[in-house]
Amino acid sequence: MEYLNIYANCQLVKGANMSLLCDLQMRRFYHLPNDTAEVLLFLQQYSIDECIAHYGEDNREAITGYVDFFVSRELGFIDDRILPELTAMELTWDRFADITNVVIEYQETIDYSGPFFRELLDQHLEGLEIRFYQPVALPELRELLALFSDSTLRHIKLVLHYEKSLNKATLDELVKKHQRVKSLLLHSSPEEKLEKIFSNSVPVYHFTGEINSCMACGEIRANHFTVNTELFTESLRFNSCLNRKLSIDQQGYIKNCPSMRENYGHVADTSLQAVLDNKTFSRYNHIRKDDIAVCKDCEFRHVCTDCRAYIENPQDIYSKPLKCGYNPYTNNWEEWAQHPMKQAAIGWYGMAEIIK
Amino acid sequence: MSKKILILSQSYLESTTDQVCQWMDYLKIPYRRLNGEDFFRFQQLSDLPDNTETAVVWYRRKIAHFPAEFSLKQPDINSQYTLKRFLVDEFNGLHSFLFHSIDAQKWLNDPLSEKNLNKLQVLQLARRLNIHTPFTEVVTTKAKIMALLEQYPALIVKPLSECILLEDTERRAYKMLTSTIDQKSLSAVPETFFPSLVQERIVKKFEIRTFYLDGACYSMAIFSQNNRKTTDDFRNYDNHRPNRTVPYKLPAELEHKLDQLMKILRFRTGSIDLMVDMQGNYHFLEINPEGQFGMVSHPCNYYLEKKFARLLHQSVLHEKEIHQQPENKENAAPATVFSEAE
Repeated sequence: MEYLNIYANCQLVKGANMSLLCDLQMRRFYHLPNDTAEVLLFLQQYSIDECIAHYGEDNREAITGYVDFFVSRELGFIDDRILPELTAMELTWDRFADITNVVIEYQETIDYSGPFFRELLDQHLEGLEIRFYQPVALPELRELLALFSDSTLRHIKLVLHYEKSLNKATLDELVKKHQRVKSLLLHSSPEEKLEKIFSNSVPVYHFTGEINSCMACGEIRANHFTVNTELFTESLRFNSCLNRKLSIDQQGYIKNCPSMRENYGHVADTSLQAVLDNKTFSRYNHIRKDDIAVCKDCEFRHVCTDCRAYIENPQDIYSKPLKCGYNPYTNNWEEWAQHPMKQAAIGWYGMAEIIK
Repeated sequence: MSKKILILSQSYLESTTDQVCQWMDYLKIPYRRLNGEDFFRFQQLSDLPDNTETAVVWYRRKIAHFPAEFSLKQPDINSQYTLKRFLVDEFNGLHSFLFHSIDAQKWLNDPLSEKNLNKLQVLQLARRLNIHTPFTEVVTTKAKIMALLEQYPALIVKPLSECILLEDTERRAYKMLTSTIDQKSLSAVPETFFPSLVQERIVKKFEIRTFYLDGACYSMAIFSQNNRKTTDDFRNYDNHRPNRTVPYKLPAELEHKLDQLMKILRFRTGSIDLMVDMQGNYHFLEINPEGQFGMVSHPCNYYLEKKFARLLHQSVLHEKEIHQQPENKENAAPATVFSEAE
């Protein structure tokens, strides 16, 4: 008797019509019809022959085709039994910091070395994104980056306004000096292109559009999907957009995300501990994708970035991200900005101009 | 100063130590991390950690690179190597003083047992505990190899000590690997040779790496690319494709025996290598007491770094309990040749 053993880090997520088999180790996903997913679930308890007997001889070819597919993609292997020692993976999530990711909307008048920022850097931060809507002088940028030199912050993403002086050599030198900078995005650039600097290890994305406010944020796109254990497990229990994340907007106000309306004080006179102790700050943390309308029926829900700032119904925090055009009931991607059902929310957020 | 957790590590390429430390910061557990590189900044012996201020020691690593330069007036490969060896010995002379100056029971793993660990002894101990090990022999002649090949279809040869990396004058690196001896490769074997460790070759279904943490086994199965039953032409494989690594639960009886083995060696943590053959039998290979556990923790989502931080914390609390007993007096006496650093 032959059995298909599926590796524990290949997790199946069922949607309304389609399922997603997420290979959390190889960081890939496979979009499957729910019928195929059902066969796969059946095979986790029964032999291949029993599966064919169950679904009928007519389906033999289809079933052996699925098995061949899973084996050839190295999602599982065939053995004479289901190995019980290959246990399920514990899908817990935890992190050694109350804040893991930070977004800063840069403003030259704000002092980024003050007590609030020192407290923030004592957190073992994972990532920091610094957005520059305006051009910035190089010495100023260098001075800012130097503030993170002695921290345990792991990586920095820079969103910069394109300028001629930000050529490949200059950026290369900058990144060599500040190796936490792992990616750059230059907006308002004369051309769309991707360059690699620092021995091809750091990407520089050139984008012709202008990024001059946070209203451009929150788009859900297939190329933003991330397949890994960290996001998958976090999203099973927490909000994948806002859990343990913090932002400082252009005016210096502390927020969950620059695009959210409410703030928890100003960096000049607020302590991080006070923000962490403020229960309203963490109110979004537990809104899981499984709790959100439509998303809960979507097969992409645990590889998705989510967005709680711009949602279809601004009055209902459990409504779907506004800037998502995927329909899990028809499995089609549509242009969200044109969708008639979204026009009211687009008007409410005042983003009609931005999305033209 | 309150009794502390002491972590001996290095400042570079040590994400396992980094993450355990980050968990301890988050859980508000005080500790002192001493990197090998820090020894180059010490002014006197009393800058070393003191027995009385130390409650528990985790010895993870010694040093990555010496932050010191040396050169010879007459450069010569052999002397370069001898000098390098000498500096390593010099450094060890200082570093391993801690093995003696800090009480043995405070170390998670007995440091001298770890330092003197012997592959043959570990295999012998394992067999005594009825843990199955591959047939192992140390041989010096081709005749003996031929005799063994009558019993086993193939043998492997591997070092009694550890694999090394060799460098030629152009700084090309040569890595020592375990290699197979069978009827086909027999012609390359000389009549007599340096005493060499041979083992029967196990045809593996997969390998197992177990991280042992204070009585518990956290195991991972490793399916390597060249024995997946996918296609008979393994050359189709992309070389960059990593091994599949998934959580695994060893049979309780085997876990119990491994626990006994680690206890006999006085190790509270360490990596254990096992192999599963095509029939599903387990073969014990070896123990790496200082083994890094990130490669088991992350793929299996075990959070071993956090569990490790908790273990260190518990050990301090336990140590405090012991010292609140009458031995307090002894504790207050100046320890060995050291005076307090502060």
